[in-house]
Amino acid sequence: MDLKSCYLRLGGDYDEVLGRLHKESLVEKFLFKFLDDGSFRLLEESFANGNHEEAFRAAHTLKGVCQNLSFTQLYRSSNEMTEFLRGGTGLDAPELLAQVTADYRQTVDAILAYQTSREEHG
Amino acid sequence: MKETKKQNQTTKFLVVSFIGLLIFSVLVFTVLGVFMSKKSTQAVYEVGNLYMGGIGEQLSKHFETTIELRFEQMDGLAEVVTTENFDTIEDLYTELAYRAQIRKFAYLALCSENGDFETIYGETSIQPLRPEPFLEALNQSEKRVVIGKDANGKDVILFGISVSYPMSDGDSIGLVGAIPLEDMTTVLSLGQDDNLLYCHILRPDGTFVLDGADTHSADYFNSVRSQYREGSHEAVEQFLTDLDRSLQARQNYSASVMDYSGYRRQVYGMPMPYSEWYLLMVMPYGALDQVLGDLNLQRTVMTFVACGIVLVLLSLIFLRYFILTKKQLHVLEEARKTALEATKAKSQFLSNMSHDIRTPMNAIVGMTAVAMTNVDDRDYVQNCLRKIALSGKHLLGLINDVLDMSKIESGKMTLSISCVSLKEIVEEIVGIVQPQINAKKQTFDVHIDNITTEEVLCDSVRLNQVLLNLLSNAVKYTPEGGKISMSMVETESPKGADYVRIETCVKDNGIGMTPEFLEKLYESYTRADSARVHKTEGAGLGMAITKYIVDTMGGSIEVQSEVDHGTEFHITLDFEKVEPKDFDMTLPSWNMLVVDDDEMLCKTAAQTLKSIGVKAEFTLSGEEAVKMVVQRHARGDDYQIILLDWKLPSMDGVQTAREIRRELGEEVPILLISAYDWSEFEIEAREAGINGFISKPLFKSTLFYGLKQYMNVDEVSDPESQQETNLAGKRILLAEDNELNWEVAHELLSELNVELEWAEDGQICLDKFSNSAVGYYDAVLMDLRMPVMNGYEATEAIRSLERPDARQIPIIAMTADAFSEDIKHCLEVGMNAHIAKPIDIQEVARILKKYLLDE
Repeated sequence: MDLKSCYLRLGGDYDEVLGRLHKESLVEKFLFKFLDDGSFRLLEESFANGNHEEAFRAAHTLKGVCQNLSFTQLYRSSNEMTEFLRGGTGLDAPELLAQVTADYRQTVDAILAYQTSREEHG
Repeated sequence: MKETKKQNQTTKFLVVSFIGLLIFSVLVFTVLGVFMSKKSTQAVYEVGNLYMGGIGEQLSKHFETTIELRFEQMDGLAEVVTTENFDTIEDLYTELAYRAQIRKFAYLALCSENGDFETIYGETSIQPLRPEPFLEALNQSEKRVVIGKDANGKDVILFGISVSYPMSDGDSIGLVGAIPLEDMTTVLSLGQDDNLLYCHILRPDGTFVLDGADTHSADYFNSVRSQYREGSHEAVEQFLTDLDRSLQARQNYSASVMDYSGYRRQVYGMPMPYSEWYLLMVMPYGALDQVLGDLNLQRTVMTFVACGIVLVLLSLIFLRYFILTKKQLHVLEEARKTALEATKAKSQFLSNMSHDIRTPMNAIVGMTAVAMTNVDDRDYVQNCLRKIALSGKHLLGLINDVLDMSKIESGKMTLSISCVSLKEIVEEIVGIVQPQINAKKQTFDVHIDNITTEEVLCDSVRLNQVLLNLLSNAVKYTPEGGKISMSMVETESPKGADYVRIETCVKDNGIGMTPEFLEKLYESYTRADSARVHKTEGAGLGMAITKYIVDTMGGSIEVQSEVDHGTEFHITLDFEKVEPKDFDMTLPSWNMLVVDDDEMLCKTAAQTLKSIGVKAEFTLSGEEAVKMVVQRHARGDDYQIILLDWKLPSMDGVQTAREIRRELGEEVPILLISAYDWSEFEIEAREAGINGFISKPLFKSTLFYGLKQYMNVDEVSDPESQQETNLAGKRILLAEDNELNWEVAHELLSELNVELEWAEDGQICLDKFSNSAVGYYDAVLMDLRMPVMNGYEATEAIRSLERPDARQIPIIAMTADAFSEDIKHCLEVGMNAHIAKPIDIQEVARILKKYLLDE
């Protein structure tokens, strides 16, 4: 599995990210970095704690990261979440949260699969 | 009509009040004059009375002292000469006579009890006129003078004192001395001609003692009665009665009477001491009246002169006022007319406009309806939409004109000066008018002469508007197949070396304008005379706006026009030069051939080419060009590039190119110069072997960029890429809470060779900045959403720090939010710019260069 198919799997735009970062190694490096990024966890926790402000910031950061890495799918749901949270003070959006969570899982799964295939092929 | 009436009323009022004032002032002056005259006459009479009183007083005093002196002399004489001292009467008489003589008595006599007089001294005997009162006074030892006569009948004054001297028949009761009356008159200085007044001395019964006026009448009363005229009888009687009463009572008396000759005379009477006499002084007013008359005359004259002067002044003021009023009325009338004309022009304009607006509106509405019914026919709808777009554009133009005009009229039109390329402006305009010119099958020439400064400071939109207006007017008012040309020449500006003068000329051979119309050319809401130009559309504001813009730019516009021969507009504008960018426009020293039938264009093109290093030759016809090319080829010294005009006489550009290709093959690049849109003939041209096109006008840069691509040596380096490395070593503080984002940013920015430092949130960013040395960081890239302190707060905090670079350091926002309010908020808190995520390294580099290198 190469980077391009990984991006296909996670619903991202590989050409765009390569256009910006120029090198495949860089894209790969940031891809793996994403696995350690705490934004999504912070978003989940904030929802659990009912901290609206933190939730907004987390969603915003997640969205920013997605933009940087051209994770189009996750960007869309996180952007929706950001806009929802920007507007009001409530956290009553289980469907949105579910969507973000699903997209995040899909993204992380794709990256993990790629990582595994890389390690297998040496 | 109404105004005239009103004006007449005003005039009438003015005239009536003026005449009223005139009469009033004459009346006042007259009354004043008469009153003053009366008063002064009265005053003069009073003065006369006082004068006569004084004179009378003096006279009577003088008389008194004279009489007293005489009496004293008599007393003295009687005291010295006593009867006892003389032995004989003769001796006594001799002594008395002697004494009388040295006391200057004319006579001396003794008077007996029964009134006999015995003369002691003197030429003749003397006798009182009326002895009784004299004797009585003597008996009573009263000092009294009387009038007497001597033997010759001469008047004398007698002074009698009671003293007893022996006489021939007993003792005397008194000694009587006498002097001639004339002496007394002399003493009293009566009857002298040079006196203003004359005096009478009267007895109580009115008879004269002394007749100062020589009336030859014994009685004053009779003399008065005989002198006065019949008419004044009663008044005279009254006067005489009053005088008589005062005479009897010995009181002072004064009156003024009219004498026979009509003159007034003043009379003043007073009793005289030591006698029963009465002094009556008469002052004829002849002299006084003369003086008074003169005075009155003078005053009257003066009064009338003053009155006249006042009247003249009043008249002048009135006249001036009248003229002023008339003038004001005239001005008002003018203003009213102007206002009316303006209103008329505006309503004319409105009705024109409504028509002009309705035409494209109708087209839009109609075409929309047509398109709707044919919605399935794609081509048809497209055609309709095209027409709708055209009408819409036209409408927009109209409305823009009206808006411009209202801006001009309210004085709100300002120029927004920026760096402008004359080349681009001309190209743009040519591009806009080209379709219109083509549609009317007109020929169009553009001449650009000697323009060395292409970049100037000016308002490009307004300059565009001016040129476009002139050109589209030329197109509009030139019939099909006509000729339109535009030329631009650069000359030295009188404003100095930093300026250039650009003279632009737009010329056509259209319908022209009448001299009458030329006069109103720049007025609002006018357009070419409607009789000749009927279907031309437009707001009629174009020229007014053009003129205003040219004026505002400090330029001038001139026009020459002749009916049916065409119009020529000449605009002169001074622009400030912009220093050309620091890169050299040079081409290799090619040998070039320029072919154009316009010699002027050839010359200027050759000159311009020379300035960029190209050796250019030119020729005026295609045939000649082919000849020259073949000659050169034979010499083995080919032209490197050939520029051909598209339109040439007999053999056009495309044909010439074909010919050259046949002779030379494909090697030499041939370019076509054209002011027109070459899309129509591009295929034909390419087939003929034309390599490319260069658009007229031929600016330096047009030629440079047009020819540059045929330079197979080193490519001109992009001036921007030269500066690529200049960001190296700049130290930038990046505030970003997300590690992944930071790493991405770090990775990307490292390409720019900048030194990047990471601040994990706004607070850390602030701390890092405030702990650094001044000028340590060159810029801050700031994420907006961060924990602890967000980007806005951090920026505000940094900006409010007390250090010299706190306000200067560029702070650039980086955020995933690209809402305009966010951007606005960024600028409000003091950030310099905004970069949207995801990070685009080109954009970041551009922004950083802008803020870091421009300083």
